Amino acid sequence: MPYLYNMKKIFFSLVCLFCVQVVSAQKDSLAFDEGNNYIYYRVIDKPALNADTLYKRAWAFAAAFNRLAKPAKGQVENTLNTSGKLLVYTGVSLMRKEGGEISYTLNIQTKEDRYRYRISNFVFKPYQRDRFGNMVPIPGVEVPLEKMEVKYGKKYTDNYLDQVAAFSINAYAKLKIAMDKLPATVKTEPVKKISTQNW
Amino acid sequence: MKKRLLLLSFFTASVLAASAQDTTKSDPPLIISGSVDTYYKYDFSKHSNIPTSFASDQNSISIGMIDLGLKKKVGKAAFVGELSFGPRGQYQSVPNGDGAALNANNSFHIQNLYVSYDVTDKFNLTGGYMATFMGYEVISPVGNFNYSTSYLFTNGPFQNPGFKATYAFASTVSLMAGIFNDTWNAYNSAGKMNTFGAQLMVSPVKGWTAYLNVLSGEVSGTEFDLTTSYQITDAFKLGLNAADFKPAAVVGTGGFTGVALYPQIAVSKDVTLGLRGEYFKTKNGTYLTAGPAPGSSVVAGTLTANIKAGPLTLIPEFRFDNTKDVNDGFTTSSGLATKKASQILVAAVYAF
Repeated sequence: MPYLYNMKKIFFSLVCLFCVQVVSAQKDSLAFDEGNNYIYYRVIDKPALNADTLYKRAWAFAAAFNRLAKPAKGQVENTLNTSGKLLVYTGVSLMRKEGGEISYTLNIQTKEDRYRYRISNFVFKPYQRDRFGNMVPIPGVEVPLEKMEVKYGKKYTDNYLDQVAAFSINAYAKLKIAMDKLPATVKTEPVKKISTQNW
Repeated sequence: MKKRLLLLSFFTASVLAASAQDTTKSDPPLIISGSVDTYYKYDFSKHSNIPTSFASDQNSISIGMIDLGLKKKVGKAAFVGELSFGPRGQYQSVPNGDGAALNANNSFHIQNLYVSYDVTDKFNLTGGYMATFMGYEVISPVGNFNYSTSYLFTNGPFQNPGFKATYAFASTVSLMAGIFNDTWNAYNSAGKMNTFGAQLMVSPVKGWTAYLNVLSGEVSGTEFDLTTSYQITDAFKLGLNAADFKPAAVVGTGGFTGVALYPQIAVSKDVTLGLRGEYFKTKNGTYLTAGPAPGSSVVAGTLTANIKAGPLTLIPEFRFDNTKDVNDGFTTSSGLATKKASQILVAAVYAF
């Protein structure tokens, strides 16, 4: 009987692990917009805060999120845009290396009691190894994320889509903290102390 | 049964752990990359005629090298160590450890061994044994479109140990200047570090990069080099390499000059066709090149295809060289001097 009990636990663990695997397919968080381009899009209610307050917080977030690019006001009122790039990797574990970089545009718009956040315009720049052993962009080669599957196949594309989605989710989490004006939580681990006096 | 389930659990957990790493933004702990290459060549004179650096064996399935590069970066500090094993990665491209020309068994196998530090986001310092910054073609078969090499590559430097500083004014302009050992392609200097090297990189328009290079020293001589490539459309790329070399007075007189053009067109997702047209001249003087005799020249045309299947690239190639003088080194199958030489080859390169 204990044997069967252990087997049940192992089966349960496996089911949990596979559930985690399914959840980790983060590319499903991305959607297509009206122009059939990949987008990560969220509308968030923020009751009791006016558009200007939300906009100021959004601006502070965008300026801190990518210090290399200054946010720019959008054409529509209370809209801002910023851009940046993220590194994407191929392979796993020791064989993991930079496969390229993906540029993006981040857009935030605020209204009374709500704001919306979107990341879009994803463009992939593949890397190659140079003569010095560094991974560097191939000059002049840029592929919109939507056309990647045609050029690089489904396996590579899905891997990069997962990384883009993970980046977008992470940025969204940071934005929420900034908009809520919550201080970033720092996880402190208790220091393990022992007494060497009594033994 | 229980053991199998446990094993399966561990395997699943390890796969999940590995895939979780994919989504982190931190630098990988250690980057491993490299390649292996193998080839078959047939020269129509039934012996090797064309002095290409690699692909030297006639009518033989032969190996190039296994190339293993390691890179680690922590904060602003990084190192690169690149080891190579095989004819291409030993006596055909790196010096022997003790400097004895005939001691081919004593290779250090090292293509790159250097450390670097990012002083700022725009300013980097690097020192050690490094692949040369001169020229269009490189030692690694992954970095070249053609498998056989140009005269300009074969006669230029392969490695320059030294110390260099690079400043990026913008993403489109950077300048490198450095001091290098007195001789090329040696792990240590002959006594002095007196070769000056510099590289100006400009990118005038999107997809076009140009490198203006100079290397000058009392022993190494002086070489000026222009290396540029332009991805004109998604399918068409044009590259160009031009160089002029004058040896140091203690080495000889003359030198070489040449130009090579590299048009390439992608005909499908996995197939690209490319041509290399090269003119190379050995100047009048006492300096001898791996090429035509002093005062003579050669025109070489190489038609190459790159057929990709994932990380594997198949490279069929046809090459035809025509020298100015009949006594420039090519011979027919019966041993008579000739101006013409031609060869075909098929190479396979796997990159990881």
